[in-house]
Amino acid sequence: MAALGVEVYVANEDGETNTAVNVPESVLRRDQARLEEAERRRNVKEKQAVKEEKSDFFTSTFNAEKTAVEEMLSSSNYSDRDKAAKTLEEVTVRIQHLQKFLNDSIMFLTQYEIRQAQASMQKLQSSLAEKREAVLPKKKFAFRSRNAGASKQPEPSQQTTDKSASGVGGTVAVDVNQCGFSNAENEVLIKQAEEIQQRDVLLSHLTNCKVRLYGCPSTLHIKNVRSCEILCGPVSSSVFVDQCTGSTLVLSCQQLRTHNTTATQIYVHVTSRAIIEDCLGVRFAPFTWTYPGIQDHYKVAGLDPDRNNWRDVDDFNWLAAGTPSPNWTVIPETERICSWDSVGSPS
Amino acid sequence: MTDHPIIQADRQNGLDNAGKTTILKKFNGEDVSTISPTLGFNIVTLEHRGFKLNIWDVGGQKSLRSYWRNYFESTDGLVWVVDSADRLRLEDCRKELSTLLLEERLAGATLLVFANKQDLPGSLSKDAIREVLALDDIKTHHWCIVGCSAVTGENLLTGVDWLLDDIAARIFTAD
Repeated sequence: MAALGVEVYVANEDGETNTAVNVPESVLRRDQARLEEAERRRNVKEKQAVKEEKSDFFTSTFNAEKTAVEEMLSSSNYSDRDKAAKTLEEVTVRIQHLQKFLNDSIMFLTQYEIRQAQASMQKLQSSLAEKREAVLPKKKFAFRSRNAGASKQPEPSQQTTDKSASGVGGTVAVDVNQCGFSNAENEVLIKQAEEIQQRDVLLSHLTNCKVRLYGCPSTLHIKNVRSCEILCGPVSSSVFVDQCTGSTLVLSCQQLRTHNTTATQIYVHVTSRAIIEDCLGVRFAPFTWTYPGIQDHYKVAGLDPDRNNWRDVDDFNWLAAGTPSPNWTVIPETERICSWDSVGSPS
Repeated sequence: MTDHPIIQADRQNGLDNAGKTTILKKFNGEDVSTISPTLGFNIVTLEHRGFKLNIWDVGGQKSLRSYWRNYFESTDGLVWVVDSADRLRLEDCRKELSTLLLEERLAGATLLVFANKQDLPGSLSKDAIREVLALDDIKTHHWCIVGCSAVTGENLLTGVDWLLDDIAARIFTAD
């Protein structure tokens, strides 16, 4: 019955289903008006469609533009290098537009017309390439040596503060502004919310340190860390853990990506899933840290405090369904740490 | 009148956490807040501008990278996604890309580089990425770099449209 009702309504489409039988004149009038309106719209549409979708229109527009570009290529004065560069730039853009015009028109063109137009496009492209080669020969690359410098960056020459890190050579912009702590031993390291908010934070080459990050980075990298205790507020995207040994990590994030890590406990709040790869003896438990303002930080990071999939760990080295991975376990409830040393405090 | 062409396969590659799956889901109008690290592959078919796109979203984890090459047959376009905020691994990123482009089976494929995460304050500009990845050295493929944000969706269409234009030009010429 319901379906039938819908059909009737659709058939009348003027919304007067119930009164249609009683007032036929108004329906007739409405129908007349509707037909006239439809006729009017069709006329308008036909007028527009004809103009843009006729192959005559395409051919004349295409050829006019093609000729214009050819003239630019052949007649321009190319003695001034800057001017030549500008002209070539413009030619490139116009060729791109012409290609787009052709692509948009393909639906209503014949195969022959398409082939002709493509041939013209190729000719334009090759004469542009020739011209470019002739007037603006390719320069040698200047930044190859700088690249070599960049590749040295991740080595232990990392500095411990933002300022000194930015002073490392005149290399390509990499690592300028790297926020975090590197190369420290037996230290207490603290960062406040405003220093790390929406930043990529790096913790690397740390031994026996206590780290507290009272805020929400965009991404957190933990690399080459031994016997450390690292606590961090809500991270809006991923936490990367690589080459970590004998440590305790307390993390909240959207994704956790753990690599080459052994004998480490991870207390995690993860809203999607955690993965491990090339790991051994990693143990998981739910996130148990809190500090004043952490609820606001969940909001800033865009993480749902009520969604925690800490138990859903994918082991990239263990794809057998049904059999649990031997590389990770859950920390028994009796062994879990519920309160953490208050080191520093959020400002 | 031609049939709707099928872009045989676009491959999305890049390091883990670059935002490949997020770009794919955002482009498809899906929720991006619950994405997990990609275990293996996502394979998606999309329709855009009358083209049918078969897209392979390949996981970025190290253990998977060596398998990438097995899936390159008949690839028209390659989308390389860069995490513009991940300064630490840009060198790694450059190496992986240049290795990938040596692949015989990718010869002729159009390369679109997405400099993703432009919405983050610490991210590098697309020009800086272009320089670090030495894109100007690439002579074997048509390429283009587009700064984008998978989270906001900014410039995703721009990039994909360029890729389609370039592939379409090549395919129709070959016909």
